[in-house]
Amino acid sequence: MLDSFLNGLAVVFQPMNFLLLTSAVFIGFIGGALPGISGVILVVILLPVTYGMDPTAAFMLLTAIYGSTVFSGLITAILYRAPGTPEAVMTAFDGYPMTQQGQAGKALGIGVLSSAIGGLVGTIALIIFTPMLASVALKFSSPEYFALAVLGLTVVASLGGRLIYGLIGACLGLFIATIGFDPLTGTSRYTFGTLELAEGVGLIPVIVGLFAISEVMKRALGEETHQPLKKVSIRIFDMPILRKIGVTLSRSSLLGVVIGILPGIGASTAAMVSYSEAVRWSKTPEQFGKGAPEGIAAPEAANNAAAMGALVPLFALGIPGSGTTAIILGAFIMHGLQPGPMFMVTSSDLVYAVFAGLFIVNFMILLFSKPFIALFTRLLNIPYSALGPIIVMCCIIGTYSVRNSMFDVWLMLGFGVLGFLLEKLKFPLVSIILGLVLGPIAESELRRTLAMSRGDFTIFFERPISATLIVISILLLTAAIVVPLRKRAKLKAANT
Amino acid sequence: MFMKHSLVAASSLGLALVGYASATIANEAAEDYPTKPLQFLVAAGAGGGTDNFARTVKPMLEEVLDTRVTVVNLPAASGAIAHQRTANSEPDGHTLDFASSTLVTSLAAGQNPTGLDELTPVARMQSDVMTLIVDPEKYPDFESFQKHAEENPGEVIIGGTHAASPDRMAFLSFRDASGLDINFIPYDEEGSVSANVMGGNIDGMFGEISSTLSYMESGEMMPILVFAEERLENFPDIPTTVEHGWDLTDGNERGIFVNADTPEAILAKIESSLKEVYDSDAYQEYEERVNLHYREGWLGSEEYRLQLEENLENYKRLLEEN
Repeated sequence: MLDSFLNGLAVVFQPMNFLLLTSAVFIGFIGGALPGISGVILVVILLPVTYGMDPTAAFMLLTAIYGSTVFSGLITAILYRAPGTPEAVMTAFDGYPMTQQGQAGKALGIGVLSSAIGGLVGTIALIIFTPMLASVALKFSSPEYFALAVLGLTVVASLGGRLIYGLIGACLGLFIATIGFDPLTGTSRYTFGTLELAEGVGLIPVIVGLFAISEVMKRALGEETHQPLKKVSIRIFDMPILRKIGVTLSRSSLLGVVIGILPGIGASTAAMVSYSEAVRWSKTPEQFGKGAPEGIAAPEAANNAAAMGALVPLFALGIPGSGTTAIILGAFIMHGLQPGPMFMVTSSDLVYAVFAGLFIVNFMILLFSKPFIALFTRLLNIPYSALGPIIVMCCIIGTYSVRNSMFDVWLMLGFGVLGFLLEKLKFPLVSIILGLVLGPIAESELRRTLAMSRGDFTIFFERPISATLIVISILLLTAAIVVPLRKRAKLKAANT
Repeated sequence: MFMKHSLVAASSLGLALVGYASATIANEAAEDYPTKPLQFLVAAGAGGGTDNFARTVKPMLEEVLDTRVTVVNLPAASGAIAHQRTANSEPDGHTLDFASSTLVTSLAAGQNPTGLDELTPVARMQSDVMTLIVDPEKYPDFESFQKHAEENPGEVIIGGTHAASPDRMAFLSFRDASGLDINFIPYDEEGSVSANVMGGNIDGMFGEISSTLSYMESGEMMPILVFAEERLENFPDIPTTVEHGWDLTDGNERGIFVNADTPEAILAKIESSLKEVYDSDAYQEYEERVNLHYREGWLGSEEYRLQLEENLENYKRLLEEN
């Protein structure tokens, strides 16, 4: 295997391929940084270009773009609260407050480092464990997915702010997730007979609206207190910070890899679950949402690790782990390759060249991100009266391009207004996203499980992985309710 | 008398002239066609089989018709928006809808409001073979699958993609014909279905033969029944539905549709241009590369329409009974 990997490295360092890889990283940087232009769209745009290429070069290009877009979504998320990709939405929760406090450089540095570490852990797992990890993916079926979604949802109880708001937000997210055709029976729900709602409400209009647009509105109305920002200096290797986020980084990277390899749920879910876990295990959970370094490290390490993890089932089984990998799978077929269990054997040269390429991409991210981000931080000096409309324009174009739908643009603007109003109430927007992303998984997997067991709930406890996850969720939920109650009782006792 | 005769003659001449003129207008319109760049509306997301099909045909049709083509993906609502937009477009043959069998299956399920009266099929270009796929360690052949299903009524679970998909229809028609008591669980993506078959969580799936080749090679999944009249040349060991006395032969098909009001002459021109593409070496090479060459893909406008109407009736009946 080491031989194959070294051969792969040799392929990567051929001048033409190296040039291709470098340009792929830059294309990915730009695409990822623009709100709405995600890796999926970039890969689709570049797909026809690759038809004329040698397959190895083509897939090095596509996977490198894929890897670097996941990274660069964090830039606009931290600087303008306009997540460049859905994967980066969790990064905005703590990244943007840090920018407001004049610590944009520190936030970006944490983001870059966490991304690169997460990406490296993911790539190493990909290179060494692909055949082994693929069988883990097959152990996961509906009961396990349901249990995982429940575990993610229980964190609402530990999020900062008022619990009732968190619950309302999660329910709102769950409700939005029910719109569209029922995933199992195809009955339409809350579509009001329009085809535009039949597919449900997309994640991108909601995210872009709730975060980017509402923030532009807030600043346009002059309600924003922003620390003046003259010079942003990014420090990627900052020892005290690194010591603080080390544990979070390792936990999130591992979580990211594991969640990434599960087919059907991608880097966005990984970012969300590991953010939740960071909150849960933190000694200072109240700091989250106000600019906690761990709040950046957790989602960034996880989403980059998950992006690499999503390639595991693609290469080992021919099953895509996420949206972009599904398109890469289509590209394999168009190149006349046969993805599936034999792919690692029949196309081993290609696979290891792609692995080596991804390995190098993570170092390129460390190296090139600083000058690239400098371009964006310079934009901070532009008066907001000019920058705001540009952000709105990018949001509109990006949202439109996802499904070629004007309806999504109106939806996005509508969520912008909603987000603006909810923030006035100090409503935790994160809970809405939590419900929206995890809701559909929980709902349809619960129903699939019950179809598998013919209505018998004990199936959740008969399967070891789902049983463990459910028991953990129950314990955490009880703790989250009982601990504050006991504290209150103690306080009462002390007062009397 | 003479006057009357000449009047009749004149008026009939006039009528003939009018008739001739309108015929030439239509012919000229067809001769001029295309007068502007074409638009392909793909009723599926980027990267899937239908998208790859449209994007492969694009440069070939551009060459045949000497024009430019833009491709727009409209995956929302299983492609229903693409069909609706095609039906509402100018009926001049410049908007082509690239769709799969999902068009009729979603129509039968009431999820697609644009019927076959609003869209005219131009041609079918791909016809993939539907198969029943299982884990060969669990069921080495169709007999063992059938036996297990008969002995354990209601226990066997088949996975598929959504409730109104071609694979659900394959399931319904298979259950209807075989009389086996088996169940269906829809998943969001085909990948999840195959993961569940390989992981042993469900018993099988209905899928296209083109996507299972690699799994056959590694032995993780195996088609045990093909929906066809005769055994496939490349897979002589796999029995067919017709052999078992079940008249099930539909698979997933892909074709091109236009607004139903498009003039005959233009329709004929698009059809002949597509036929030219279909017969080209480049297109046939592509079919072979993506393993769609097991069955003749081409079906002209009229035959394709008749077949779709028949499929639609059949699917509607199956859905009503279930």
